[in-house]
Amino acid sequence: MRYDRIVQALTATVHYSCHTFEEAEVTNFVASDLMSDVLVLDDEEFLLITSLSTEQSIRTADIVGARGVLLVNNKKPQPGMLALATELNKTLLATPERMFRTCAILGCILREEGHLD
Amino acid sequence: MSNSFILGTDNAPSHMIELMYRMKVWDVMTRELRVGSRTSTLAELQGIMRDNNISGIPIAEGGRLYGIISMDDIIRCLQQGAMGDSAADRMTKNVISLEDDMPLSFAISTMEKHRFGRFPVLNKHGELVGILTSRDILVHLLIAMNKEMALLESSLNPQPTSEAGGVLIREYTTRKFDFENAGKASTEIKKILVDRGIGSKIARKVAVASYELEMNQVCHSLGGTLSFKLTEETAEIVAQDLGPGIEDLESALIEGWSTANEWVRSLGFGAGMGLPNTKRVSDEFSISGGPSGTRVVTSFRLRAEPSV
Repeated sequence: MRYDRIVQALTATVHYSCHTFEEAEVTNFVASDLMSDVLVLDDEEFLLITSLSTEQSIRTADIVGARGVLLVNNKKPQPGMLALATELNKTLLATPERMFRTCAILGCILREEGHLD
Repeated sequence: MSNSFILGTDNAPSHMIELMYRMKVWDVMTRELRVGSRTSTLAELQGIMRDNNISGIPIAEGGRLYGIISMDDIIRCLQQGAMGDSAADRMTKNVISLEDDMPLSFAISTMEKHRFGRFPVLNKHGELVGILTSRDILVHLLIAMNKEMALLESSLNPQPTSEAGGVLIREYTTRKFDFENAGKASTEIKKILVDRGIGSKIARKVAVASYELEMNQVCHSLGGTLSFKLTEETAEIVAQDLGPGIEDLESALIEGWSTANEWVRSLGFGAGMGLPNTKRVSDEFSISGGPSGTRVVTSFRLRAEPSV
Protein backbone atom coordinates (compact mmCIF):
# COMPACT_ATOMS: atom_id res chain seq x y z
CA MET A 1 0.00 0.00 0.00
CA ARG A 2 1.07 3.58 -0.55
CA TYR A 3 1.99 5.89 2.30
CA ASP A 4 -0.86 8.27 1.49
CA ARG A 5 -3.32 5.44 2.13
CA ILE A 6 -1.68 4.66 5.49
CA VAL A 7 -1.75 8.34 6.45
CA GLN A 8 -5.41 8.65 5.48
CA ALA A 9 -6.58 5.42 7.17
CA LEU A 10 -4.81 6.23 10.44
CA THR A 11 -5.23 10.03 10.37
CA ALA A 12 -1.48 10.04 10.76
CA THR A 13 0.91 12.98 10.85
CA VAL A 14 3.92 12.85 8.54
CA HIS A 15 6.90 14.08 10.54
CA TYR A 16 9.46 13.09 7.93
CA SER A 17 9.02 11.53 4.52
CA CYS A 18 11.89 9.55 3.01
CA HIS A 19 13.11 10.16 -0.53
CA THR A 20 10.93 7.36 -1.95
CA PHE A 21 7.84 8.33 0.06
CA GLU A 22 5.63 9.02 -2.98
CA GLU A 23 6.23 5.79 -4.88
CA ALA A 24 7.03 3.30 -2.07
CA GLU A 25 4.82 0.20 -1.83
CA VAL A 26 4.65 -0.93 1.81
CA THR A 27 3.55 -4.53 2.23
CA ASN A 28 5.23 -5.58 5.45
CA PHE A 29 4.82 -4.27 8.99
CA VAL A 30 6.43 -5.20 12.29
CA ALA A 31 4.76 -4.07 15.50
CA SER A 32 6.80 -4.04 18.72
CA ASP A 33 7.76 -1.81 21.60
CA LEU A 34 10.79 -3.98 22.28
CA MET A 35 13.62 -3.18 19.90
CA SER A 36 15.39 -6.37 20.97
CA ASP A 37 12.53 -8.30 19.35
CA VAL A 38 12.89 -6.35 16.12
CA LEU A 39 16.62 -6.98 15.91
CA VAL A 40 16.16 -10.77 15.80
CA LEU A 41 13.95 -10.65 12.68
CA ASP A 42 15.02 -11.29 9.11
CA ASP A 43 12.24 -9.16 7.57
CA GLU A 44 13.23 -6.34 5.28
CA GLU A 45 11.78 -3.05 4.10
CA PHE A 46 9.00 -3.08 6.66
CA LEU A 47 7.42 -0.20 8.52
CA LEU A 48 8.11 -0.44 12.25
CA ILE A 49 4.98 0.18 14.34
CA THR A 50 5.88 1.15 17.90
CA SER A 51 5.11 3.50 20.76
CA LEU A 52 8.80 4.00 21.52
CA SER A 53 9.33 7.64 20.57
CA THR A 54 13.10 7.82 21.08
CA GLU A 55 16.14 7.77 18.79
CA GLN A 56 16.49 4.04 19.42
CA SER A 57 13.51 3.06 17.28
CA ILE A 58 14.95 5.02 14.33
CA ARG A 59 18.38 3.46 14.90
CA THR A 60 16.81 0.02 15.04
CA ALA A 61 14.91 0.73 11.80
CA ASP A 62 18.15 1.80 10.15
CA ILE A 63 20.16 -1.18 11.41
CA VAL A 64 17.64 -3.75 10.13
CA GLY A 65 16.89 -1.88 6.91
CA ALA A 66 13.29 -0.95 7.74
CA ARG A 67 11.58 1.80 5.74
CA GLY A 68 10.67 3.89 8.72
CA VAL A 69 8.73 4.16 11.96
CA LEU A 70 5.02 4.60 12.65
CA LEU A 71 4.41 5.90 16.17
CA VAL A 72 1.12 4.87 17.77
CA ASN A 73 -0.79 5.97 20.88
CA ASN A 74 -0.61 9.64 19.95
CA LYS A 75 3.11 9.74 20.73
CA LYS A 76 5.03 12.76 19.54
CA PRO A 77 8.57 12.10 18.32
CA GLN A 78 11.24 13.49 20.63
CA PRO A 79 13.35 16.20 18.94
CA GLY A 80 16.36 13.89 18.73
CA MET A 81 14.24 11.22 17.10
CA LEU A 82 13.05 13.55 14.37
CA ALA A 83 16.58 14.81 13.74
CA LEU A 84 17.86 11.24 13.43
CA ALA A 85 15.01 10.21 11.11
CA THR A 86 15.96 13.11 8.84
CA GLU A 87 19.66 12.25 9.02
CA LEU A 88 19.11 8.57 8.23
CA ASN A 89 16.27 9.20 5.72
CA LYS A 90 13.71 7.11 7.61
CA THR A 91 10.03 7.94 7.18
CA LEU A 92 8.48 8.99 10.49
CA LEU A 93 4.70 8.91 10.95
CA ALA A 94 2.55 9.27 14.05
CA THR A 95 -1.05 8.24 14.62
CA PRO A 96 -3.44 8.83 17.52
CA GLU A 97 -4.68 5.23 17.09
CA ARG A 98 -3.60 2.58 19.56
CA MET A 99 -1.31 -0.28 18.61
CA PHE A 100 -4.03 -2.94 18.15
CA ARG A 101 -6.38 -0.76 16.10
CA THR A 102 -3.47 0.42 13.96
CA CYS A 103 -2.54 -3.18 13.19
CA ALA A 104 -6.16 -4.15 12.55
CA ILE A 105 -6.71 -1.24 10.13
CA LEU A 106 -3.48 -1.97 8.25
CA GLY A 107 -4.34 -5.69 8.22
CA CYS A 108 -7.66 -4.94 6.52
CA ILE A 109 -5.93 -2.91 3.82
CA LEU A 110 -3.30 -5.63 3.30
CA ARG A 111 -6.06 -8.22 2.83
CA GLU A 112 -8.01 -5.93 0.51
CA GLU A 113 -4.89 -5.40 -1.60
CA GLY A 114 -4.23 -9.11 -1.70
CA HIS A 115 -1.07 -9.21 0.40
CA LEU A 116 -2.56 -11.48 3.05
CA ASP A 117 -3.79 -14.98 2.37
CA MET B 1 41.09 30.32 54.09
CA SER B 2 37.98 28.25 54.41
CA ASN B 3 35.75 30.44 52.26
CA SER B 4 38.35 31.05 49.60
CA PHE B 5 36.98 31.35 46.09
CA ILE B 6 37.28 27.93 44.56
CA LEU B 7 37.86 28.93 40.96
CA GLY B 8 41.56 29.62 41.21
CA THR B 9 43.69 29.49 38.10
CA ASP B 10 46.65 27.83 39.83
CA ASN B 11 45.55 24.22 39.75
CA ALA B 12 42.90 24.36 37.04
CA PRO B 13 43.13 22.06 34.00
CA SER B 14 44.51 23.77 30.89
CA HIS B 15 41.08 23.86 29.24
CA MET B 16 39.64 25.78 32.20
CA ILE B 17 42.54 28.22 32.29
CA GLU B 18 42.13 28.83 28.57
CA LEU B 19 38.42 29.41 29.13
CA MET B 20 39.03 31.89 31.96
CA TYR B 21 41.44 33.86 29.76
CA ARG B 22 39.23 33.72 26.68
CA MET B 23 36.13 34.97 28.51
CA LYS B 24 36.07 38.68 29.30
CA VAL B 25 34.31 40.52 32.11
CA TRP B 26 31.80 41.90 29.58
CA ASP B 27 30.77 38.34 28.66
CA VAL B 28 29.51 37.62 32.17
CA MET B 29 28.69 40.92 33.89
CA THR B 30 25.14 42.05 34.64
CA ARG B 31 24.33 45.01 32.38
CA GLU B 32 20.94 45.91 33.80
CA LEU B 33 22.00 48.26 36.53
CA ARG B 34 20.13 49.65 39.50
CA VAL B 35 21.99 52.72 40.66
CA GLY B 36 21.51 55.37 43.29
CA SER B 37 22.65 58.99 43.27
CA ARG B 38 24.71 60.80 45.90
CA THR B 39 21.58 62.50 47.23
CA SER B 40 19.57 59.26 47.57
CA THR B 41 18.75 58.44 51.18
CA LEU B 42 19.71 55.10 52.68
CA ALA B 43 15.99 54.33 53.08
CA GLU B 44 15.43 54.86 49.34
CA LEU B 45 18.42 52.69 48.49
CA GLN B 46 17.21 49.95 50.81
CA GLY B 47 13.88 50.03 48.93
CA ILE B 48 15.62 49.60 45.58
CA MET B 49 17.73 46.74 46.95
CA ARG B 50 14.69 45.00 48.40
CA ASP B 51 12.57 45.41 45.25
CA ASN B 52 15.33 44.11 43.00
CA ASN B 53 16.63 41.44 45.35
CA ILE B 54 20.20 42.75 45.29
CA SER B 55 22.71 43.16 48.10
CA GLY B 56 24.62 46.22 46.95
CA ILE B 57 24.07 49.28 44.82
CA PRO B 58 26.53 51.56 42.98
CA ILE B 59 26.17 55.29 43.46
CA ALA B 60 26.64 56.88 40.07
CA GLU B 61 25.55 59.92 38.12
CA GLY B 62 25.79 60.24 34.34
CA GLY B 63 27.89 57.09 34.13
CA ARG B 64 30.41 58.34 36.65
CA LEU B 65 30.89 56.07 39.64
CA TYR B 66 31.13 57.81 43.03
CA GLY B 67 30.87 54.92 45.45
CA ILE B 68 28.92 51.87 46.54
CA ILE B 69 26.38 51.13 49.26
CA SER B 70 26.23 47.53 50.50
CA MET B 71 23.83 45.65 52.76
CA ASP B 72 26.37 46.12 55.59
CA ASP B 73 26.07 49.92 55.24
CA ILE B 74 22.26 49.65 55.39
CA ILE B 75 22.37 47.49 58.55
CA ARG B 76 24.79 49.89 60.20
CA CYS B 77 22.50 52.87 59.44
CA LEU B 78 19.46 50.94 60.68
CA GLN B 79 21.24 50.32 63.98
CA GLN B 80 22.22 53.96 64.22
CA GLY B 81 18.81 55.24 63.14
CA ALA B 82 20.47 57.02 60.25
CA MET B 83 18.35 55.83 57.34
CA GLY B 84 17.66 59.43 56.35
CA ASP B 85 21.35 60.06 55.67
CA SER B 86 22.39 60.56 52.07
CA ALA B 87 24.43 58.05 50.09
CA ALA B 88 27.26 60.57 49.77
CA ASP B 89 27.79 60.48 53.54
CA ARG B 90 27.68 56.73 53.94
CA MET B 91 29.00 55.12 50.77
CA THR B 92 32.35 53.39 50.35
CA LYS B 93 34.23 55.81 48.18
CA ASN B 94 37.39 53.88 47.62
CA VAL B 95 35.76 51.32 45.33
CA ILE B 96 37.68 48.50 43.67
CA SER B 97 36.34 48.31 40.15
CA LEU B 98 37.02 46.09 37.15
CA GLU B 99 37.35 46.97 33.49
CA ASP B 100 35.02 45.37 31.01
CA ASP B 101 37.74 44.05 28.69
CA MET B 102 39.68 42.27 31.45
CA PRO B 103 39.95 38.49 31.16
CA LEU B 104 37.76 36.59 33.59
CA SER B 105 40.85 35.10 35.25
CA PHE B 106 41.84 38.61 36.35
CA ALA B 107 38.38 39.29 37.75
CA ILE B 108 38.52 35.99 39.67
CA SER B 109 41.87 36.82 41.27
CA THR B 110 40.63 40.31 42.15
CA MET B 111 37.61 38.74 43.85
CA GLU B 112 39.85 36.34 45.72
CA LYS B 113 42.03 39.21 46.91
CA HIS B 114 39.33 41.65 48.03
CA ARG B 115 36.38 39.41 48.91
CA PHE B 116 33.63 41.90 48.19
CA GLY B 117 30.31 40.55 47.03
CA ARG B 118 30.18 42.70 43.89
CA PHE B 119 32.46 44.76 41.72
CA PRO B 120 31.37 47.69 39.53
CA VAL B 121 32.61 47.37 35.95
CA LEU B 122 33.85 50.41 33.99
CA ASN B 123 34.51 50.76 30.27
CA LYS B 124 37.65 52.29 28.82
CA HIS B 125 36.14 55.77 29.21
CA GLY B 126 35.72 55.18 32.91
CA GLU B 127 31.91 54.94 32.69
CA LEU B 128 29.93 52.48 34.79
CA VAL B 129 28.62 49.78 32.40
CA GLY B 130 27.94 46.77 34.60
CA ILE B 131 28.33 44.92 37.86
CA LEU B 132 29.96 41.59 38.48
CA THR B 133 29.18 39.08 41.26
CA SER B 134 30.65 35.64 41.88
CA ARG B 135 27.27 34.21 40.89
CA ASP B 136 27.58 35.80 37.42
CA ILE B 137 30.95 34.11 37.03
CA LEU B 138 29.73 30.71 38.20
CA VAL B 139 26.66 30.71 35.96
CA HIS B 140 28.56 31.75 32.83
CA LEU B 141 31.47 29.42 33.53
CA LEU B 142 29.04 26.52 33.88
CA ILE B 143 27.41 27.38 30.55
CA ALA B 144 30.82 27.67 28.89
CA MET B 145 32.01 24.41 30.49
CA ASN B 146 28.91 22.62 29.19
CA LYS B 147 29.77 23.74 25.67
CA GLU B 148 33.41 22.72 26.11
CA MET B 149 32.39 19.29 27.42
CA ALA B 150 30.05 18.75 24.48
CA LEU B 151 32.90 19.60 22.11
CA LEU B 152 35.34 17.35 23.96
CA GLU B 153 32.89 14.46 23.95
CA SER B 154 32.19 14.79 20.25
CA SER B 155 35.93 14.74 19.58
CA LEU B 156 36.24 11.55 21.65
CA ASN B 157 33.64 9.69 19.64
CA PRO B 158 34.73 8.21 17.30
CA GLN B 159 38.16 7.70 18.80
CA PRO B 160 41.28 6.55 16.99
CA THR B 161 40.74 5.94 13.34
CA SER B 162 43.24 4.44 11.03
CA GLU B 163 43.34 2.86 7.67
CA ALA B 164 46.53 1.24 6.48
CA GLY B 165 47.25 -1.66 4.18
CA GLY B 166 43.58 -2.20 3.37
CA VAL B 167 42.65 -2.55 7.07
CA LEU B 168 40.24 -0.04 8.57
CA ILE B 169 40.07 0.30 12.34
CA ARG B 170 37.59 2.35 14.32
CA GLU B 171 37.21 2.58 18.05
CA TYR B 172 34.11 3.89 19.82
CA THR B 173 33.45 4.62 23.47
CA THR B 174 30.16 3.86 25.24
CA ARG B 175 28.98 5.23 28.57
CA LYS B 176 26.62 3.75 31.12
CA PHE B 177 22.97 4.72 30.51
CA ASP B 178 23.94 7.12 27.71
CA PHE B 179 20.94 6.23 25.58
CA GLU B 180 21.22 9.43 23.59
CA ASN B 181 24.45 8.33 21.94
CA ALA B 182 23.88 4.59 22.11
CA GLY B 183 23.79 3.16 18.62
CA LYS B 184 25.83 5.89 16.95
CA ALA B 185 28.75 3.52 16.45
CA SER B 186 26.52 0.89 14.86
CA THR B 187 24.86 3.39 12.54
CA GLU B 188 28.31 4.49 11.41
CA ILE B 189 29.60 0.94 11.03
CA LYS B 190 26.63 0.05 8.84
CA LYS B 191 27.23 3.15 6.71
CA ILE B 192 30.90 2.22 6.23
CA LEU B 193 29.91 -1.27 5.09
CA VAL B 194 27.19 -0.05 2.72
CA ASP B 195 29.47 2.64 1.29
CA ARG B 196 32.05 -0.07 0.57
CA GLY B 197 29.54 -2.08 -1.39
CA ILE B 198 29.30 -4.91 1.15
CA GLY B 199 26.03 -6.81 0.55
CA SER B 200 23.07 -5.50 2.50
CA LYS B 201 22.44 -8.82 4.28
CA ILE B 202 25.97 -8.99 5.65
CA ALA B 203 26.00 -5.27 6.47
CA ARG B 204 22.80 -5.82 8.41
CA LYS B 205 24.21 -8.78 10.37
CA VAL B 206 27.33 -6.83 11.37
CA ALA B 207 25.23 -3.81 12.33
CA VAL B 208 22.80 -5.92 14.38
CA ALA B 209 25.68 -7.51 16.31
CA SER B 210 27.33 -4.15 16.85
CA TYR B 211 24.07 -2.57 18.02
CA GLU B 212 23.28 -5.41 20.43
CA LEU B 213 26.79 -5.21 21.90
CA GLU B 214 26.62 -1.44 22.13
CA MET B 215 23.25 -1.52 23.89
CA ASN B 216 24.52 -4.22 26.25
CA GLN B 217 27.37 -1.96 27.32
CA VAL B 218 25.05 1.02 27.79
CA CYS B 219 22.37 -0.95 29.68
CA HIS B 220 24.45 -3.30 31.80
CA SER B 221 28.09 -2.25 32.07
CA LEU B 222 30.00 0.70 33.46
CA GLY B 223 30.80 1.65 29.86
CA GLY B 224 33.42 0.37 27.50
CA THR B 225 34.75 0.34 23.99
CA LEU B 226 33.67 -1.12 20.70
CA SER B 227 36.48 -1.80 18.24
CA PHE B 228 35.63 -2.34 14.61
CA LYS B 229 38.17 -3.86 12.22
CA LEU B 230 37.46 -4.25 8.53
CA THR B 231 39.67 -6.13 6.08
CA GLU B 232 38.98 -7.33 2.55
CA GLU B 233 37.69 -10.68 3.84
CA THR B 234 36.30 -10.09 7.31
CA ALA B 235 34.67 -7.64 9.65
CA GLU B 236 35.43 -8.00 13.35
CA ILE B 237 33.86 -6.33 16.36
CA VAL B 238 35.46 -6.52 19.78
CA ALA B 239 33.33 -5.23 22.65
CA GLN B 240 35.26 -4.69 25.87
CA ASP B 241 33.51 -3.22 28.88
CA LEU B 242 34.76 -2.00 32.25
CA GLY B 243 32.72 -4.39 34.39
CA PRO B 244 31.00 -5.35 36.62
CA GLY B 245 31.05 -8.61 34.65
CA ILE B 246 28.36 -11.17 33.87
CA GLU B 247 27.80 -13.50 36.81
CA ASP B 248 26.62 -16.40 34.76
CA LEU B 249 28.05 -16.37 31.24
CA GLU B 250 26.25 -19.54 30.18
CA SER B 251 22.85 -18.23 31.20
CA ALA B 252 23.51 -14.94 29.44
CA LEU B 253 23.52 -16.85 26.16
CA ILE B 254 20.04 -18.26 26.75
CA GLU B 255 17.27 -16.31 25.01
CA GLY B 256 15.07 -14.41 27.42
CA TRP B 257 17.53 -14.53 30.33
CA SER B 258 17.78 -10.94 31.44
CA THR B 259 19.06 -8.89 34.33
CA ALA B 260 17.74 -5.62 32.92
CA ASN B 261 15.64 -3.40 35.14
CA GLU B 262 12.20 -2.05 34.22
CA TRP B 263 13.63 1.29 33.23
CA VAL B 264 15.94 -0.24 30.62
CA ARG B 265 13.04 -2.35 29.34
CA SER B 266 10.86 0.74 29.01
CA LEU B 267 13.44 2.04 26.56
CA GLY B 268 12.90 -0.94 24.31
CA PHE B 269 15.80 -3.11 25.40
CA GLY B 270 16.69 -5.69 27.98
CA ALA B 271 14.59 -8.56 26.66
CA GLY B 272 17.44 -10.97 27.18
CA MET B 273 17.98 -11.37 23.46
CA GLY B 274 21.16 -9.33 23.02
CA LEU B 275 23.94 -11.90 23.37
CA PRO B 276 22.01 -14.82 21.82
CA ASN B 277 21.12 -12.62 18.86
CA THR B 278 24.71 -11.43 18.48
CA LYS B 279 25.81 -15.05 18.44
CA ARG B 280 23.09 -15.92 15.92
CA VAL B 281 24.17 -13.35 13.35
CA SER B 282 27.94 -13.84 13.80
CA ASP B 283 30.09 -16.31 11.89
CA GLU B 284 32.38 -16.55 14.88
CA PHE B 285 31.53 -15.59 18.45
CA SER B 286 33.39 -15.79 21.73
CA ILE B 287 32.82 -14.32 25.17
CA SER B 288 35.15 -14.13 28.15
CA GLY B 289 35.80 -12.05 31.21
CA GLY B 290 35.34 -11.56 34.91
CA PRO B 291 34.31 -8.85 37.36
CA SER B 292 36.72 -6.37 35.78
CA GLY B 293 34.98 -6.59 32.45
CA THR B 294 33.45 -8.71 29.73
CA ARG B 295 34.97 -9.15 26.29
CA VAL B 296 32.95 -10.28 23.29
CA VAL B 297 34.66 -11.00 19.98
CA THR B 298 32.54 -11.47 16.87
CA SER B 299 33.58 -11.82 13.27
CA PHE B 300 31.88 -12.03 9.92
CA ARG B 301 32.96 -13.34 6.52
CA LEU B 302 32.31 -10.71 3.91
CA ARG B 303 32.60 -12.89 0.80
CA ALA B 304 29.94 -15.13 -0.69
CA GLU B 305 26.72 -13.62 0.58
CA PRO B 306 24.32 -16.54 0.95
CA SER B 307 21.32 -16.37 -1.32
CA VAL B 308 18.18 -16.53 0.82
